[in-house]
Amino acid sequence: MNIIAFYIISSITVLSCLSVVFSSNPVHSVLFLIFTFFNVSILFLLSNAEFLAMTLIIVYVGAVAVLFLFVVMMLNINEVLIKEGFLKYFPFGFILITIFLLELFFVFKDITLKNTSSSKMNISELLNKGNTNTESIGMFLYTDFFIVFQISGFLLLVAMIGAIVLAKNENLNIKSQKIIYQKSLDKKRVIKLK
Amino acid sequence: MNFFNYFVLSSIVFSIGFLGIFINRKNIISILMSIELMLLAANINFVGFSNVLGDLYGQIFALFVLVVAAAEAAIGLAILIIFFNKSGTISVDFINKLKG
Repeated sequence: MNIIAFYIISSITVLSCLSVVFSSNPVHSVLFLIFTFFNVSILFLLSNAEFLAMTLIIVYVGAVAVLFLFVVMMLNINEVLIKEGFLKYFPFGFILITIFLLELFFVFKDITLKNTSSSKMNISELLNKGNTNTESIGMFLYTDFFIVFQISGFLLLVAMIGAIVLAKNENLNIKSQKIIYQKSLDKKRVIKLK
Repeated sequence: MNFFNYFVLSSIVFSIGFLGIFINRKNIISILMSIELMLLAANINFVGFSNVLGDLYGQIFALFVLVVAAAEAAIGLAILIIFFNKSGTISVDFINKLKG
């Protein structure tokens, strides 16, 4: 049951990934990207990662994909020009990914994974203690990985400030508040009684 | 579940993203979407191996990959918008201001 669901969902995922890459309309591309994220989040649910499945939907579908959609709709792109050079680059890319997949196959074809039952983050032990997936992630995220967690929050802050600074429009035609000018004004000089 | 299932799926998704970078030369937005697909493949691998091994490390690392992907998408799209405002195109072939 579980494995059949895995095969169905993963084949849909691969098909929608292909549509993301090959569709000529960027809006359709973004919508297929959203569909891919939904499918992958179902895969995460099947793999007992409930917290990550919900986070994937919130972060990717709620934030990143909508950002992509806004940008695609804001830019006026000529659809005919987009697929130019497809035949020129496709064989090269196809050869490269074939080599890549063959390398992966030869590396991983006779690897057996070791069982890490001695790890302190064993999922089944944590489940037996009564911790759900979200609880156990929180338990380790706020203790062992605390510094990494803080650094990732700082990374998001830097990205936010960077995006605002980059996209801020320095257009002189727009009337905006100039705080330094406002503060440096002399009240007696500006206001006059006649 | 065998780890090979997750591995085959994630390598296929990664390869599709890789191919997308090559064939979408006229559209940087598609290239950014392909990069998102590649990061998603890495996440599938992390979560799948975490499920097979019964270890929570993979899920926590996948969370950090998610953070980096979100930051990267925001910065990339901001750069894309100012580039489009300055030059009026989003084709990779015309991005040669730095003469690289």
